[in-house]
Parts: sequence; structure tokens; C-alpha cells
Amino acid sequence: MGLRRLWFVIERDLRMFIQYKFLLIMRAIWFVAQVALFGLIVNKMVQDAATEVGISYFNYYVAGVTIITLYSTAMFIGYDIFEEAEHGVFEYLLTLPVSRRELVLGRSIGGGLRSFIYVGPLLVVSLFILGVSNPIYLLVAVASLFLFAFGVSGMSITLAVAMKSGDKFDIVTGVLDALIVRLSTTMYPVLYLQRAMPAYASIANFNPLTYASDLFRWGTGVEGVLQFSPLVGVLGLFVFFFAFTFVGVVFYERRLEGGSWE
Amino acid sequence: MKAILHVIEYDFRNFFRFRWFVIGLIAMNLADLFISAVVFTQMTSVVDYFRFFAPGLAVVGLFASAFMIGREINMEVRREIHHYMLSLPMTRTELAVGRVLAGGLRGMLYMTPLLITNFVVLRFPSLPQLLLILLTLLLLAIGISGVSISIAVSTTSFEKFVTARGVVYYMLFFCSSVFYPLSVIQVLNTKGLGPLVTFAQVNPLTNGSDLIRSFLLDSPEYVFSPLMLLNVAIFCGIFALLATLAYAKILERQ
Repeated sequence: MGLRRLWFVIERDLRMFIQYKFLLIMRAIWFVAQVALFGLIVNKMVQDAATEVGISYFNYYVAGVTIITLYSTAMFIGYDIFEEAEHGVFEYLLTLPVSRRELVLGRSIGGGLRSFIYVGPLLVVSLFILGVSNPIYLLVAVASLFLFAFGVSGMSITLAVAMKSGDKFDIVTGVLDALIVRLSTTMYPVLYLQRAMPAYASIANFNPLTYASDLFRWGTGVEGVLQFSPLVGVLGLFVFFFAFTFVGVVFYERRLEGGSWE
Repeated sequence: MKAILHVIEYDFRNFFRFRWFVIGLIAMNLADLFISAVVFTQMTSVVDYFRFFAPGLAVVGLFASAFMIGREINMEVRREIHHYMLSLPMTRTELAVGRVLAGGLRGMLYMTPLLITNFVVLRFPSLPQLLLILLTLLLLAIGISGVSISIAVSTTSFEKFVTARGVVYYMLFFCSSVFYPLSVIQVLNTKGLGPLVTFAQVNPLTNGSDLIRSFLLDSPEYVFSPLMLLNVAIFCGIFALLATLAYAKILERQ
């Protein structure tokens, strides 16, 4: 596998990301509105609960919104792949002097990397708000966020190549977004998910967004003690990353075979 | 009138083309109510959050679907479909009024299941209350449709439209009592964001959702006031007129 050719594929996806500039600006506005308005106001509303679990809800929420932003931007790659299939760009990609495996792996890495580059400045803003209590914990947390971003990118590719209808892709990603974010600890601690409905907490315990947001909070010191060991969180994200990168690559590679995307 | 009905019918047919998008939207709305609101209910003692948020959800749904008309009109402007629209046997004003009304009525159609969910989980209103709720929501939907069309015709770039929509959406929603009570929003005063509190008080989304709450929550905190209806009616009047003029103007110019 040629690293240079792999890099060309990654670079193309990074360049394509720029075309979403207005959507990216909108995401940034969403982030600011979530933090400066929703976070501040809800912080006031849930003060008793935050005291009960020993957190600042505002800080808790800032960390959660950062992870939601990382998730949603990593999902963009699926839309790119779908558009390429619809507009006949697949054929062009297949004529390039890169192997299919390089092409597929490059897309997966590019999808995760570009979301991380986009979230970078927002991550700095978050760290400015949250502070850093232990730099080593933070490094572990950020490294696990890389796994998370690549895993989400792989998941998005898997969904995009598994569906031939744009409508189906839209509805599946819409419903997935609705459920995966809400059934995680990005917005509320697992204790309250458990109290609301134990089934919600059970699902949240296996949700990669839960691992990513809890590890990020642990890394920044927002949550001193996690409900699971950080090692379990990193392992969970590694399994998520490995499964979807592998599955995504295999699916995408197969779909390229014989024009089955048409 | 017949011409306006034809335009409304055209927009309703278009609306059903986006059924998958609408299904995704409904899933997100229901997840907000049956997951997020249920969890926040456990976290706050300020209000029974599930009961508080249910009327807000109807307004969220109304807003999202009434706003979709702007996306279509922006697309038509970009693809120059308005040439075809101008060839239709109707006046420009009829066309413009039809588009604004269609946007509002589509919002009402989408919001109906969410409103029925409210009645089921909260309580059924009396007939006069129901009529008042429907009237307020219809005015609100037409006003939102007007805002959306005004933005859509002011730019030929879809990206700029999407960005402007985002800014309007976040301002109107986060500075309103859709997600949290007005009493809690006062916290922004302490952060030097006092104007946003004033904006939240006059926000038509606040008045729309609080009006539904006044009839469905049986809480002394939410009492119906004709000013709520007046606020929404003024919002509707201003933006319906603005959108009609702007839409007719853009057709003329091009």
C-alpha cells in the first residue's frame, strides 16, 4: 500500500470539506448558541441535580456539545459518498492510479481527520472554558477522540454504501442522529437516564458517544470519577473504530466492484 | 381565490416529496419528547419538564416544517423555475400570497400529530380553547413561512440561506420559552445578556408555546392573555406582508 497515494485520497477529502464552508459556519453558530444560551440557562434549571452528582452542568454540557459536533461533522463523509454515486464521480475515482483499498482506507481516514481538524478550534474553546487538570489524562482523551472520529466516519461510509436510495440514507441517518445523541451521556449523566428509564441507561452504556464524552470529561477534569474505567472507555472506542473502519472498508470495496452502486 | 388554492395545492404536493425528511424530523421530535424531556424531568425541580416541554415541541415541529417552504423557493430562484411560475394564469400577488399561506398550512399539517400527542399526554382543551390554539398556531406558522420566504428570496446562494436559517432558528428557539421557562431565562441578565431576555419575552415562539401551556397545563404560572395572540398576530402580519412583497419583487426583477 502506497502511503503517498493514500495521502492523495485523504487530501482530496480534506479539500472537499472546504466546500461545506457555510454548513460548517452554521455548525459553529450552533455550538456557540448551545454553549452560550442553552448551556447557561439549563445549568440554572438543573442546579440541584448537578449538585447531587457533584458536577457543574454547564461544564458537563460544553464537553457533551463538543462531542456531538465531532460526531455530526464526521458523519458528513457519508453524504459525500452518496453524492458521488449519484453524480457519476465513482467512475472517475476508479480511473485514478490508486488501488481500491487505498481509495477506501483513504476516505475513511480523511473523513475522520477532517472532522477533527474542524472541531480543533472548538475543542480549544472548550478547553479554555473547562480547563485542564491533568495533561496526560487529556492526551489519552484526545487520542480516544481520534478513534471515535474515525469510527463515526467508518459508520457513515458503511451506511452510505449499504443503501442505494438517498431517501433511505436520509431517514436512517436522521433517526440514528436522533437516537444516538439522546441515548448517550452527552447531555445528561447516566444516573438520570437510569432514573428516567433503565433501558435508556443500558443503551447509553454501549453507546460510543457515551465513551467519547465521558472520556473527554475525565481528560479535562469535569468528571473526576467515571462510571467505568477509562481503559474500558478507550477499549470501547477502539472496538467501535476497528469494527466500523473494517466493515466500512470491506463494504465500500465490494460496492466498487462491478458498478453495483448504480 | 381559486388561483391561490392551486398554488397551495402545488406546495402541498411538493411537501410530500420530502416525506423521508419529514419522517426523520418526526423521529427527532419524538426522541426529544420521549427521551430528552423524560430525562430532564428527573433532573429539574423547577418544572415538570415533560409536561412543560410537550407544548414547546408542537411549536418546534411547526417551525421546522413551515420553514421548509423557504428552502424550496430558494431552490426555485436558483434554478430559475420562477419563469415557469410566471407563465401561470394568475397574478404575482396571488402567487406570492399562495406561497406564504401554503408554507403556513404545511406547518399546521405537520404539527397536528404533535399537537394531538400534547392532548393525549396533557389534557384535551375545550372547543373555544382548541379554536384559539389552532388560530394562534396558524398565525404563527404563516409568520414563520413569511420569515423563511423573506430570507430565501434575499439570496441566490443555498449556503447563505442555510446559514441565515440557522442563525434565525437558534435565536428564535434558544431565546424563547420553548425549551425552558421564562423565569429561568432571567439568568442571562446576570451574564450581561439582558437584551436577549427582552427578546425572549416578545418572541412569538414564547407567546405561542405559553398560550398552549395556559390551556393544557392548568398551572397558575401560565394564564391566557389576549396579548399573546396579539403578539403572534403582529408577527404574522409583518412577515406575511414582507414575504409577499419580497417574493413578488424578486419575480418582477428577474
